[in-house]
Amino acid sequence: MSAKNVLGIIFSNAYDEVLPELTALRTMGSIPFAARYRLIDFPLSNMVNAGIPQVGVITKSNYRSLMDHIGNGKPWDLSRKREGMTLLPPFDTPAMGMTTGKADALYGSISYITKSAKDHVLLTDCNVVCNMDYEKLIKAHTSKDADITIAYAKGNPPSIENGTELILGDDGRVVGTKLIDCFSGSVNYSLKIMIIRRTLLERLLHEAHSAKIDDFETLVANNVKHLRVYGYEETGFVRVLGSLQNYYDISLELLKLENRKALFTPDRPVYTKVSDQVPSIYGIGANVKNSLVADGCKIYGEVENSILFRGVTVEKGAKIKNSIVMQNTFVGENSTLECVIIDKSAVVKPNKMLCGASNYPVYIGKGIVI
Amino acid sequence: MAVKPECIAMLLAGGQGSRLGILTKNIAKPAVPYGGKYRIIDFPLSNCVNSGIYTVGVLTQYQPLELNDYIGNGQPWDLDRANGGVHILSPYQQIKGTEWYKGTANAIYQNINFIERYDPEYVLILSGDHIYKMDYSKMLDFHKEKNADCTIAMLEVPWEEASRFGLMIVNDDGSISEFEEKPKNPRSNKASMGVYIFNWKKLRKYLIEDEAKEGSGNDFGHDVIPAMHGAGERMFAYQFDGYWKDVGTISSLWDANLDLLNPKVDLDLDDDGWKIYSRSPVAPPHYVGANAKVENSMITEGCEIEGDIDFSVLFANVTVEEGAEVKYSIVMPGTVIKKGAVVQYSIVAENAVIEEGAVVGEKPENMKNIEDWGVAVIGNGVTIGKGAKIAPDTMTDSDVGGAE
Repeated sequence: MSAKNVLGIIFSNAYDEVLPELTALRTMGSIPFAARYRLIDFPLSNMVNAGIPQVGVITKSNYRSLMDHIGNGKPWDLSRKREGMTLLPPFDTPAMGMTTGKADALYGSISYITKSAKDHVLLTDCNVVCNMDYEKLIKAHTSKDADITIAYAKGNPPSIENGTELILGDDGRVVGTKLIDCFSGSVNYSLKIMIIRRTLLERLLHEAHSAKIDDFETLVANNVKHLRVYGYEETGFVRVLGSLQNYYDISLELLKLENRKALFTPDRPVYTKVSDQVPSIYGIGANVKNSLVADGCKIYGEVENSILFRGVTVEKGAKIKNSIVMQNTFVGENSTLECVIIDKSAVVKPNKMLCGASNYPVYIGKGIVI
Repeated sequence: MAVKPECIAMLLAGGQGSRLGILTKNIAKPAVPYGGKYRIIDFPLSNCVNSGIYTVGVLTQYQPLELNDYIGNGQPWDLDRANGGVHILSPYQQIKGTEWYKGTANAIYQNINFIERYDPEYVLILSGDHIYKMDYSKMLDFHKEKNADCTIAMLEVPWEEASRFGLMIVNDDGSISEFEEKPKNPRSNKASMGVYIFNWKKLRKYLIEDEAKEGSGNDFGHDVIPAMHGAGERMFAYQFDGYWKDVGTISSLWDANLDLLNPKVDLDLDDDGWKIYSRSPVAPPHYVGANAKVENSMITEGCEIEGDIDFSVLFANVTVEEGAEVKYSIVMPGTVIKKGAVVQYSIVAENAVIEEGAVVGEKPENMKNIEDWGVAVIGNGVTIGKGAKIAPDTMTDSDVGGAE
């Protein structure tokens, strides 16, 4: 079976609550990441690179920035007459109310899923940063004739509530699931990327709706015993964002060449919205070390171990160290930032000093003037 | 047709740009990369869109493959439109035979049918050879206000350079009294920018007449405009001030790129009100390494920099390894400069490889005879071997072995 027969579903709001600062004004999917991307770029690009022709993006709240970012899906080549990308806002019938869990949200989009007439549905969240070859996942799924295949990684689980450990039997079959707690060592943790037969998904969603189960993971866990559920190990670069600290650490991990190579492999490019910025300008006296810089920056000061998003200005004498500076933020003369995450369009006036610690980065909100 | 456009643009993009040598071996001049992420044609195309002109015919002839591919359906410039948009116009076969575009005027003549489909009031003629930001709508207002038949955009150039241009002698009311083509002793410093607005009906008549004329070069500057002027049509000069550069030679292309690093030069590409659009490569942010040193330079997406960069413009996906130096140079997409190599006063085209320890170009101050100095050019996909030396003012179009 080819990816042509797979429908992609992305949950743009799942786990919003673990990054309350960054999701105050946006969805998980529209959190800026890696200097020029939004988190949704990764699952969207993965789907497109695997050849999945149709993708539904499920939204719940705060999705204006997401709509602005994905538009009609053009940057991912998903602006199509047939198939392509569809935004699935909450489908609010009097009987439904606001969706709470993923099962609920999927149930609200069940007619879209049915109409796709694909054999399988690939589901993913936006807080998993990876450049995963979904084609391999699809192959594994079909070669095992599985009902559900769940991608997992081996190792210390990410610090995220509701983490699931997969208990694997022979042949990679999932025989049970367990909630991860703080005593879990190295385990096979679910990446919550899974592929499932469409007809089965519809049946499960109807069952869940009548049983008032709103959480999709619980739904799967309840059915592990009598379904053919398999695990698929992802061995490449994969990180799950579970907190602001996570976001900070994982971002800075990209300063290592091997991680960048794994995430931005030329065979599977990561697409994002084009912003038509000019290349970045380095002025006289600029001193940039070990940093990732997007286009449109103007740098006259010092930048070290940091990530600068598009259109950041670093004035003369300013020092930015171990920090993440988002789009269009301005850092004035002789100001110092250390271990700071500074959101979009903020202004740091001259001669200011902001310091966090590497295990407790300071967060400055969008548009704040200091 | 829905809304009839008042003015459409015809962009002459068929030129070879032979003075750019190996840089235009396989691509037309308007497709030559410029400014880190642009191509020359991005400027007239973006100017059109920013000026509210959404119907653009692009006339291609010389090596059109890359240009056609680059323009595609015009989406990066917002020119993928149901009504109008960008159209590639190549010479085509007709019942009376096939003809190449013989000259600039003939290229438009052969596409009269295209223009008639839109039946515009005015036609803007542009060339794909220049770097400038210009609001054509203001020029059109001027054209209408003067009730002109033809308006030519004009720029005051330094007197000592004036003899390289087609010049105009202009009356106080802006009307043109005389033309001079590259005179030895210029009487004016008002140079034509090769940007014209015509009343379409008038231009149509003169194009047909010019085509019928025995011995005509079918060129706007040499034939059509003098004919209109001779017949006493209303010809006006519209003054443009701002940055304008013909990037027709290696040294002007090099200069025009380095102009972007000079804050005193009046060419701001970071202008939200007048963006220059381009088809962007898909590449991650650029990375500057722990031992790198980058000053006075322009760097764009996909670059991995571990060496020293000074007064240079790097295009997408350029790699500069540790200990390598890039100074006063333009490095086009995908090129790799290996450890300890030096690239100075050079233009390196796409996907070239400069091996370890190779030296490309020379500082002008190190020359015995400054007359021998010039920018060194490395062609597309060329490999310069380990420790090889490439002299200044040369063009290298095939691989150079290492110095043993």
